Amino acid sequence: MSMKTLLAATALTSALAVPAFAQTEIEFWHAMGGSLGDTVNQIATDFNASQDEVQITPVFKGTYEEALTSGIAAFRAGEQPNILQVFDAGAATVIGARGAVVPVETLLTDAGADFDIEDYIAGVRYFYADADGTMIGMPFNSSTPVMYYNVEALETAGVTAPVTWEEFQTVTAPALAEAGYIPMTQSHMPWIFTENFFSRHNLQFATANNGYDGTDVTINMDSPELMAHWAAFKSWVDQGYAGFYGAAWGDNATPFEQGEVAMWLGSSGSFGGLQQTADFEFSATYLPYWEGVTSEPTQTFIGGAALFAMSGHSDEENAATAAFFEYLTSPEVQFMWHQQTGYVPVTEAAYELAKSEGHYEEFPAAEIGIQQLQLPAGEWTRGYRMGFYVQIRDVMNREYTRFLQGDVELEDAFATIKTEADELLARFAQTQGG
Amino acid sequence: MKRAAFNHRLLPVALLVPQIAIIAIFFYWPAWTAIQSSFYLEDPFGFGSTFVGTDNYTRLFASSEYLKVAQFTILFTVIITVFALGAALLLAVKADKVLRGARTYRTLLMWVYAIAPPVAGFIGVMLFDQNIGPMTDLFNWLGHDYRLGLNYMDTAFAMTITSIWIQIPVNFIFFLSGLQSIPQSVKEAAMIDNASPTRRFWETTFPLLAPTAFFLLIINITYALFDTFGVIDTIVYGNPASNPMTLVYKVFVDGFRGNDIGGSSAQSVVLMLLVLGLTIFQFRMLERRIHYT
Amino acid sequence: MTDTTLSMPVQVAPRGRRIRLSVIGDHFVLILGALFMMAPIYMTLTTASHENLTIHREGLQFLFGGELLNNFDAAMFGQGGFSGEITGMSMLKNSLILGMGFALGKIVLSMMAAYAIVYFRLRFATFAFWVIFTTLLLPLEVRIVPSYEVITGLGLANTYTGLIVPLLASATGTFFFRQYFLSIPEELVEAARIDGAGPVKFFIDILVPLSRTMIAAIFIVMFVYGWNQYLWPTLITTDEGLYTLVRGIKQIRQSLAESNQIPAYGQAMALSIIAILPPVLIVVFLQNWFIKGLVESDK
Repeated sequence: MSMKTLLAATALTSALAVPAFAQTEIEFWHAMGGSLGDTVNQIATDFNASQDEVQITPVFKGTYEEALTSGIAAFRAGEQPNILQVFDAGAATVIGARGAVVPVETLLTDAGADFDIEDYIAGVRYFYADADGTMIGMPFNSSTPVMYYNVEALETAGVTAPVTWEEFQTVTAPALAEAGYIPMTQSHMPWIFTENFFSRHNLQFATANNGYDGTDVTINMDSPELMAHWAAFKSWVDQGYAGFYGAAWGDNATPFEQGEVAMWLGSSGSFGGLQQTADFEFSATYLPYWEGVTSEPTQTFIGGAALFAMSGHSDEENAATAAFFEYLTSPEVQFMWHQQTGYVPVTEAAYELAKSEGHYEEFPAAEIGIQQLQLPAGEWTRGYRMGFYVQIRDVMNREYTRFLQGDVELEDAFATIKTEADELLARFAQTQGG
Repeated sequence: MKRAAFNHRLLPVALLVPQIAIIAIFFYWPAWTAIQSSFYLEDPFGFGSTFVGTDNYTRLFASSEYLKVAQFTILFTVIITVFALGAALLLAVKADKVLRGARTYRTLLMWVYAIAPPVAGFIGVMLFDQNIGPMTDLFNWLGHDYRLGLNYMDTAFAMTITSIWIQIPVNFIFFLSGLQSIPQSVKEAAMIDNASPTRRFWETTFPLLAPTAFFLLIINITYALFDTFGVIDTIVYGNPASNPMTLVYKVFVDGFRGNDIGGSSAQSVVLMLLVLGLTIFQFRMLERRIHYT
Repeated sequence: MTDTTLSMPVQVAPRGRRIRLSVIGDHFVLILGALFMMAPIYMTLTTASHENLTIHREGLQFLFGGELLNNFDAAMFGQGGFSGEITGMSMLKNSLILGMGFALGKIVLSMMAAYAIVYFRLRFATFAFWVIFTTLLLPLEVRIVPSYEVITGLGLANTYTGLIVPLLASATGTFFFRQYFLSIPEELVEAARIDGAGPVKFFIDILVPLSRTMIAAIFIVMFVYGWNQYLWPTLITTDEGLYTLVRGIKQIRQSLAESNQIPAYGQAMALSIIAILPPVLIVVFLQNWFIKGLVESDK
């Protein structure tokens, strides 16, 4: 990162660039729709303008699932793109298929770039890494669950944002309900109230080192702490301390944007959108934790997606991919991405740049996500790796919804999730030929 | 089969080859792949696989979720077929009958047909949205706390009504054409023979519509089973959770979305067998009775 | 419900109040039906005339706002994608090619196949029919990954051929034409044979003109089917010049589901209207034509 990226960030060279020799063309398949897609296109355009050896073409391939399946189908047909964006729940599928991707660490080192995993911010480092700590996928759009709140609502109720769930239960929620608000909603049950429940409390999520050590894994859905949390959440929903609008993200976010709900657990990446959709003053704070479970709450997992360099390409193309990755992780580009989308910057340098540019003085809430990712780490906070995780999340959503609607009992819901998830994990192990 | 047929050897073969070739490559070969895959658990990238015998099948039938999806699919298909055909027949009969404004009604009633299922689903989502949907407001006003995406029946309702909505026009078009092609002489003869309009309809008009009705029945069943995919996909969008879905959507969720190739292949095979049986049955039952005029 | 309301299927001439009441009843049913069919479209159009934020906060709109032209302009001419090649116009063109190509391909293939099955003494005619007919069973969504491998293997990814051909592997058209040919009086082919017409001449000079209303009906069905495809075009094309309208709309639906960005609702609604229009025109135009054809052939 040096002259090249500096020039890139300013994109001044574009007018002068005349390709002196054949350019290396690479393809980048992603799942960033709407304005996120526009930003991705902007980055690619700037990158192409910044140098004349590599020409990257981003291709929008639909949802995360569609992008992943397209990538897989293309790989089977020998037509895979150079870069494929894979979301958190699909990570195990890609990382499990060791021949399908070139680890980003290898890719960058082979291309002669400096790679130091310590350059990345703490919560991001190992989520897409293997058991040895080798980074496989390049963290790209990274976010983490945080709690947004309506400033005026909390003032009306005379409370501050809760730090712990105990505080929420006994102080915040009753006061907010009294003041005529639905105190809280959340937008993603598996991500916020399951995966990050484990990381926030530094609890083990799955056997075999949260799944990093192999495919012989079972999930700890019988964790008494988790079950207690869900029993509490259900009681909140029942007594009007929390709203529940189903498994869909937007259905739970909209009432917050409309001012009916006082606090909303969403993504740190929601910040940019909320600025447009919420016509009231809002702020954000860390994801609450249970004091009864831990007195030393830890950092959370990242969500979002990473970029994987797919194998089967020439060295020349791999070098071009590495050049794009280098460009992408440069502080300037990361800062621009952070500013425009609300996703966290993935490197320390980019975070420092954002700070020095005064970004967080203007928008303090934008810093919460990255701060939360830098809270003390624990044994179980680096990530998790489970196959067929898309379906496992589907099972969670299904059973949680039934439980919250009173269709099934707590024990039955969790027993079902555990049984089905363990079965899926065992089946995944078999797909790996083991 | 026609008795008066041409005797030719090469021509019919040449006529059939293009269709059969495309079907062989894009239907039978994928179907064969699915049958094979259904006995394996396979890494999606194609690196590893384990032969698991009939595990993928036994697992399906042991799954209460799968049976629930199957149950919903049957109910969903019956309701859509009955209502989309019933409403279209009613409207076609009326449109055939009225003298004033017939053309306008006809145009108004049929052009919704052109709407893509994802677009219809999108409109459905906007109408039934929990927070901003006018239909949700209507239900709440009527005293029902309508929750799309949360309550199973509420979601099923939105899916069904949206699916019926876009299917009525095509049925309408075909029924109306069928009605208008009944010769005036037949109608007049029926009038002399039979005084009751209801009986006249069922005894004279409807049998003449039978060929139309039969092929519409097949179209509607395949529509409900398969082509509602776009509607369902748009309504549950990425959150199958506890929402209702059809068997085809389940194949998509497990296979395309979840990359479980073996499991979803087994589902495809079950689906093929199920519908094959259904088709043979319905063909045998109905074709025998229908008179082609 | 059908039993009672279908009481007056054929125009009859009894006198007095009963007929007037029943005529009013007929109009009532038709108006109700038309409202049910039209209201969502109307709301799509009115909603297309508002700002995204208004729609995001308040949902569908019943009255027209002031953004109609802006939204349509953005939908039609706004350049999207990386290459800037995605505009309403280019998507419209691709959807048209997909719809037309699919419908024409389908009609040609399935008429030929149905003709062979119905009009020739073929030992394997029944078998061939079943070979084709069983393909009613499995939609493309289910066999999509193997189909992708074939198309990519043939080097047809990112081509119109690759978009259209796999969709042709289904039986609906052949089935329709078979049913229709079976309903054509047998005397016709006998008469043609006496006149000395061979199979090719019979097909082109007699059967095709005779089937024109059926062709029109099938063209409508198939055009709309091809026009409305989503999943297959998404998988098989990476070239932005090949995006279709339905894909453009789904992309906006996605931003609604996945992030807190305000989706471009107004544009999506405008795009929906644009996506509806061409098939509607085809339906309306061909409908008139084939109803007329039916009535004429009756005389």
